[in-house]
Amino acid sequence: MADLVWIHEDALRATHPVFDAATDGARSVFIWDSARFDAAFIGSKRQLFIYQTLIEMDVDIIAGQTAEILSSLVAAEDVNRLVVAETPNPAIHAALGTVRGNCPDLPIDNIAETPFVSLAVPPDLGRFFRYWNKAKKGALRHGGLPV
Amino acid sequence: MSAPMTEYTLLPKTFASPSEMARFVAGLSGDDAASAIDAAPIAGGRAAAEAALAGIDPRSYAASRNHLDGAVTRLSPYIRHGILSLDEVRNHALACVANAKEAEKFIQELAWRDYWQRIYLAYPDRIWADIENYKTGFDAKDYDDTLPDDIKAGETGVACIDQFIATLSDTGYLHNHARMYLAAYIVHWRRIKWQAGARWFLQQLLDGDPASNNLSWQWIASTFSNKPYIFNLENVAKYCGPDINTIPRHNLALDQSYERLTALLFPNMGGPHG
Repeated sequence: MADLVWIHEDALRATHPVFDAATDGARSVFIWDSARFDAAFIGSKRQLFIYQTLIEMDVDIIAGQTAEILSSLVAAEDVNRLVVAETPNPAIHAALGTVRGNCPDLPIDNIAETPFVSLAVPPDLGRFFRYWNKAKKGALRHGGLPV
Repeated sequence: MSAPMTEYTLLPKTFASPSEMARFVAGLSGDDAASAIDAAPIAGGRAAAEAALAGIDPRSYAASRNHLDGAVTRLSPYIRHGILSLDEVRNHALACVANAKEAEKFIQELAWRDYWQRIYLAYPDRIWADIENYKTGFDAKDYDDTLPDDIKAGETGVACIDQFIATLSDTGYLHNHARMYLAAYIVHWRRIKWQAGARWFLQQLLDGDPASNNLSWQWIASTFSNKPYIFNLENVAKYCGPDINTIPRHNLALDQSYERLTALLFPNMGGPHG
């Protein structure tokens, strides 16, 4: 029994906290899903850029439909938890929803990126400078820590 | 676990040469133009990202970033894909200066990315929908849904715009000021929905991000800002340097005062705008 780390195009680095969250020896996979790329308007130049990045990482690149491959790996490799880098991307959430449907007993953990700035109160996002006025002091500090 | 077993194919990670990898990826994407994708000047990978990060100069960036030949960092493809985190880029910028104030403009630009991502997380439906009405005197229905072929081909007849389009298609990268010019030309001069331009940019750009890209288009269009962004040829000449053709007779659509452009582009609006 081991974790499976799903690496996607929004978190392509070995130092992402998702790797620290996974158990030692967990397999990491990137699903090369052309339909997902097309739906996200990821063109051929960017696909090459992503591939260039992946070959430097300790990650298996698997071609196929995202949710189908992930669900199959969970079943075939006796995975006890799926660990994913958190992202706002609805397509990633949709794929995870399908995996949940296929593997209802599987825990799925979304691991947050290291924050740029930590804010005690959610900022007003109506205009940039309303956000910036609240974020500026922390953003100008190492680690984005609260002032 | 009830999921069916699926056969899968592991893709290779070693290639005889970069061009062989480019051809392989082109085959995966169904793109036969392998030589074209070989040309992107910004290479993927953490090593390339770290090299780019080591070369930044936040002080020069602040002084020259609006100029096409300014000290921009080209870190955006790495940040967009999480190859570099905003946190580590900010921390590196602070380490480059004696006083945090000297890195403020650079860090503020990083903050735009954080801001767009927060909107994406909180309101994912806003990424493709008009957040507010256009403030151009027109309704959304007055704008075309599709991007014309002359724009995709870089054959608009407006010289500087065609140069920006060529750079975008050849390199997968465009300076932010040129992106603003091109987006404004598409939305306001050609009266095309920002969504059509945003889709095209996402397909072309190495750093194409649904939040940063689309919300910036909405800022240009005025569906997420208080007024439409426009520019004129004098502004292009000021920021773009001698490599961009700003000869007036080659850029007739842009060679106007802001008052005249406002009257031409937004005839339904009452007063001066720009």
